[in-house]
Amino acid sequence: MSAQPPTNTVAAAPRTGVGIWLDQHLYSVVASLGRALRRPWATLLTIGVMAVALALPLGLALALGNLQHFAGSVEQSREIDLFLKPDIEVARAQVIAAELRSRADVAAVVVRTPEEGLAEFRARSGLGDALGALEENPLPSLLIVTPREDAPTLVDALQRLPETGLVQHDEAWRARLQGWLGFGQRLAWVLAVLFGLGALLVVGNTVRLDIQSRREEIGVLQLLGATDGFIRRPFIYLGAWYGLAAGLLALGLLLGSAHALREPLQALASSYGSSFMLGGLDAARGAGFLFASTVVGWLGAWLVTGHFLRQTRPTET
Amino acid sequence: MSVLRFENVSKQYPGGHEALADVSFEVEQGEMLFVTGHSGAGKSTLLKLIHLSERPSRGAVVFAGRNLLKVRGGKVPLHRRDVGAVYQDHRLLAERSVAENVALPLILRGDRRADIGKRVREVLARLGLGHREQALPSQLSAGEQQRVGIARAIVSEPKLLVADEPTGNLDPTLAAEIMSLFASMPERGTSVLVVSHDLPLIKRMKKRVLILDHGRLMDDISPADLAE
Repeated sequence: MSAQPPTNTVAAAPRTGVGIWLDQHLYSVVASLGRALRRPWATLLTIGVMAVALALPLGLALALGNLQHFAGSVEQSREIDLFLKPDIEVARAQVIAAELRSRADVAAVVVRTPEEGLAEFRARSGLGDALGALEENPLPSLLIVTPREDAPTLVDALQRLPETGLVQHDEAWRARLQGWLGFGQRLAWVLAVLFGLGALLVVGNTVRLDIQSRREEIGVLQLLGATDGFIRRPFIYLGAWYGLAAGLLALGLLLGSAHALREPLQALASSYGSSFMLGGLDAARGAGFLFASTVVGWLGAWLVTGHFLRQTRPTET
Repeated sequence: MSVLRFENVSKQYPGGHEALADVSFEVEQGEMLFVTGHSGAGKSTLLKLIHLSERPSRGAVVFAGRNLLKVRGGKVPLHRRDVGAVYQDHRLLAERSVAENVALPLILRGDRRADIGKRVREVLARLGLGHREQALPSQLSAGEQQRVGIARAIVSEPKLLVADEPTGNLDPTLAAEIMSLFASMPERGTSVLVVSHDLPLIKRMKKRVLILDHGRLMDDISPADLAE
């Protein structure tokens, strides 16, 4: 060791605030990432718990979205099925259809004869042989009436026709479905808030433990003149990394689940003659979800470090 | 010009214990002095007041013309950057290399990366640690760790260097070398305040000595008086 006087030959050039800010943020980003990677199991556990907490409400929201999409197509079909009495001839059915077409509140009327109805039933039900054993066609003529708008008066008018056997209009059923969907959407939001809070607490607790294990180091940094921002930044970035990674894992979990469900769901839908396809997240909503999960991680870490730093301020007397 | 001035400073902790009572002294720029006293004399409290880990109950601590009572909140870290500190237990960051530990004050100050590397290498070479840049503190001897602590304290050339029992764990030869290094600091304009109860060492250094006892400044001995 030399006891020569210090000879400082390096004069630090003055720097702009932005340059210092960028440098210190870069330092924090790298330091926080390094810290997370040095403890892979603890990091994976935290990310895993967060990912499940985030995936549950998002999965529910996606399922409801698909159901909404399906319900939308049901909503589109506003037809009223008018089953005539079995003894009404097809010719009489055509006359009734013509009369109905002349009404202002009717957009269209399609006549389905008993023969056409039986052929369709045979094709869909797979009961061809059994139906062949019937001596006569039990199906009545069917008029499919499309109203111009919601037409409760039209339904009443159809019910009052002397030839009417049954009027089928699923308005009440659709209203109940809409009610359930509305409830489901609200439930998804409530769960999103609760599970989001859970994810925030998971990050907060992990960061709190990290702070406890680095208490001595933080104390030294404070004595050296580190600002609250300098101390807080690596923890906040750590929380943000956790949030981002958990968001990515949650999306992966949902994609895997959707992949597993798609094929059997399509088979089920096609058996009902539907071409329903399971929908997922588009790029914009996926990015929005990742942003939200990152913010949750960031916020959890910010709250915990803020609490810690307030406790370590010098005594103000 | 004085770097540090205590003006009738008292410090009373919650519970009534008075750690310092009406203490006044002044440290000139480029001066080196010792503060000594028995355990509980108030030495640690004095350092805490300088570092703004505590605030005085009465009186004023003036550092570089600034009354530290008025330094609040976000300004506290800026004040601490002007005071280099060396501790008996070194307080090095265990997971960071020697170079990273020494670089911390410069990173906090916002120096350029290239300047930091150059400055750290220069200081480590001066302290005979050039070959230990990448070592972790746990891989160093007690003397080497203390020198890393000193390198970290002087790397940013602070206005005041305070050392709390810096030679407590060192053998006499190494302790003398450390003291010799401290004695060279004032030539660069850095004032040095060393807290120690090693009286033989203090006598050998022939510097000004403040003696604290039960929180009171009992004596302020000049180098000339000490020689007598």
